[in-house]
Amino acid sequence: MATEQLKKIPFDLAKFKETSEDKLFEFVDIDTVTSERITAPRYSYWRSVLRIFFKKKINWVVLVLLALLFILTFIGPFFWPYSKFENVTDASLQNLSPTQCFDRFGFSLKWCLGTGQYGNSIFYGLWSSARTSLLLAIICAAINMVLGILMGAVWGYSKSFDAVMTVIYNIIANVPYVLLISVLVYVIGAGFGPFVLALTVTGWLGIAYFFRTQVLIIRDREYNLASRCLGTPIVRVVSKNILPYMISVIVTLLATEVPSYISMEVFLSYIGIGLKSDVPALGQMINDGQIGWTTYPWAFWAPVSIAAALTIMLYLLGQNLADASDPRSHMQ
Amino acid sequence: MAEEKKYNPADFPAEIPYQEGDPVLSIRHVDITFGSGRKQFKAVSDANFDIHKGETVSLVGESGSGKTTIGRAIVRINPCSAGAIYYKGRKISGKMPRKEARELVRKIQMIFQDPAASLNERATIEYIISEGLINFKLYKDDKERVEKVEKAITDVGLLPEHLTRYPHEFSGGQRQRVGIARSVVMEPEFIVADEPISALDVSIRAQVLNLLKKFQRERGLTYLFIAHDLSIVRFISDRIVVIHLGKIVEVAETEELFAHPLHPYTKSLMSAIPIPDPILEKEKELFVYDPSVHDYSVEEPSLVDIGHGHFVYGSPSEIEKYKAAREGK
Repeated sequence: MATEQLKKIPFDLAKFKETSEDKLFEFVDIDTVTSERITAPRYSYWRSVLRIFFKKKINWVVLVLLALLFILTFIGPFFWPYSKFENVTDASLQNLSPTQCFDRFGFSLKWCLGTGQYGNSIFYGLWSSARTSLLLAIICAAINMVLGILMGAVWGYSKSFDAVMTVIYNIIANVPYVLLISVLVYVIGAGFGPFVLALTVTGWLGIAYFFRTQVLIIRDREYNLASRCLGTPIVRVVSKNILPYMISVIVTLLATEVPSYISMEVFLSYIGIGLKSDVPALGQMINDGQIGWTTYPWAFWAPVSIAAALTIMLYLLGQNLADASDPRSHMQ
Repeated sequence: MAEEKKYNPADFPAEIPYQEGDPVLSIRHVDITFGSGRKQFKAVSDANFDIHKGETVSLVGESGSGKTTIGRAIVRINPCSAGAIYYKGRKISGKMPRKEARELVRKIQMIFQDPAASLNERATIEYIISEGLINFKLYKDDKERVEKVEKAITDVGLLPEHLTRYPHEFSGGQRQRVGIARSVVMEPEFIVADEPISALDVSIRAQVLNLLKKFQRERGLTYLFIAHDLSIVRFISDRIVVIHLGKIVEVAETEELFAHPLHPYTKSLMSAIPIPDPILEKEKELFVYDPSVHDYSVEEPSLVDIGHGHFVYGSPSEIEKYKAAREGK
């Protein structure tokens, strides 16, 4: 019906071609190769992460400050050897303010922050303590993260393992953490090694549980099903399909884990179940300094500010790195 | 409803006689259930159909009717709770020797519905297409693998320069073609295409369908094409299986089914196909399927061959009616 109506309309092709608009256009063949081409610049995950991360000025500042702090804590103790009880017999050296020290010894770095209750140099003590605390935090975080992520990945992926692990988790997670650590420290003794063991023996469980939930979210996505249809072994499914999606989750975890172990050491040393008293650590120093913190503030505030600076900067940096490692932030 | 027939696992031996010309894939009395105990849900019950070599069989039905469930049972993702699936005379449902199961993974490939979800967003196109090749070590050296991947990507109309890119940089149609390339590069014999075009723009549906047809011509592939759109199904398939709420209601060759839809559910599907003519479309009378027209309280329904390679599901009295309707014209 409609076509018959169309036929009635007179159409003069020659006249149509004469019109000026027609002359402005010409036919172009479809180029199938060009139509498939992608003109957007190449995407690289890690380059985009760095680009987003370094776009924020604050990250540069924090990174430089943190690098300075790390150099001081890891190299400082070689130049400034610290012995807590070197002046313990000389009562006149106890709890001196920086000005009192300068009056006695003249200006030197060693006494620029005064002395503590054993006549110990606060400045020297600070870096040795920070080194212990930072090392402890990094080791504990590394062990817990590696164990937690590997166990969590399997925990989330395997249904039979899930049933067993959830029961174990429910039992252990209900034991108060401080109680568990204090019992462990009493049983295996104080010291750096036992302290690491106490913090890691159950510490990974929380991370594994968190990670398991994350894996569970993406486990049954269609692309994992597709990998199954292609016969991909589980190890490669985990390493190629699951872990790459977890990078921002892992960085976020790391951002909270490292500072949390610094605080944990400070807290446990403060309540007296941490390292041995002659091992310099930030918690230990804070514990020593808090006795007379109103009268001799330098002995208290120096370690507190270093602990605070370390945790805050690590946390800030980790969070910003986690933000940058989220691919959703890579869109321009 | 009458008591359902029970089949003994012994009725399904691990191997049935198979020779050239027999259907490559046979689905026999397959039940698929999800969950257990009181929450048990039967997604497919007593499914039966065959697929011959080089054929495209379409599985048509509404959402939740069990189409995808059957497709996934064939690639061994969903286990069958009863019945068996045979591939070239070999039982492929249930437990299988590891080596055979692996070989089957290569032979039976799947194309997924949603190209946005079925590609690994954190892998390059090269890894995605190579994945199966790496799993089965289908190449002598790395050079051969790259050659195979490059051939696969040009075969689907994409460019070798795309190999270093990530899936999110592609359009839906391009992604689906990557999905096709990754299955076809395995040189499979049988492909389960799970609604491969329903998530695509109308303008590129034909492109993907033509690509599938091209591969079928060139390589003698056999397809199980899962769809809900009958107009597309008519274009691509040799035979159509209509499924409703987990039960197969009608099986016939494409033109036979379009000429003589017998089951009321098939009729309702046919009447839902839009006609690209506004006047005809407006005057069209929609046929609505009402399941209460079936009375299965006395007679037990089953899928019966009524001639012309046409199977319909119904009770004996209904079958008589269908036969009369088929022959009466």
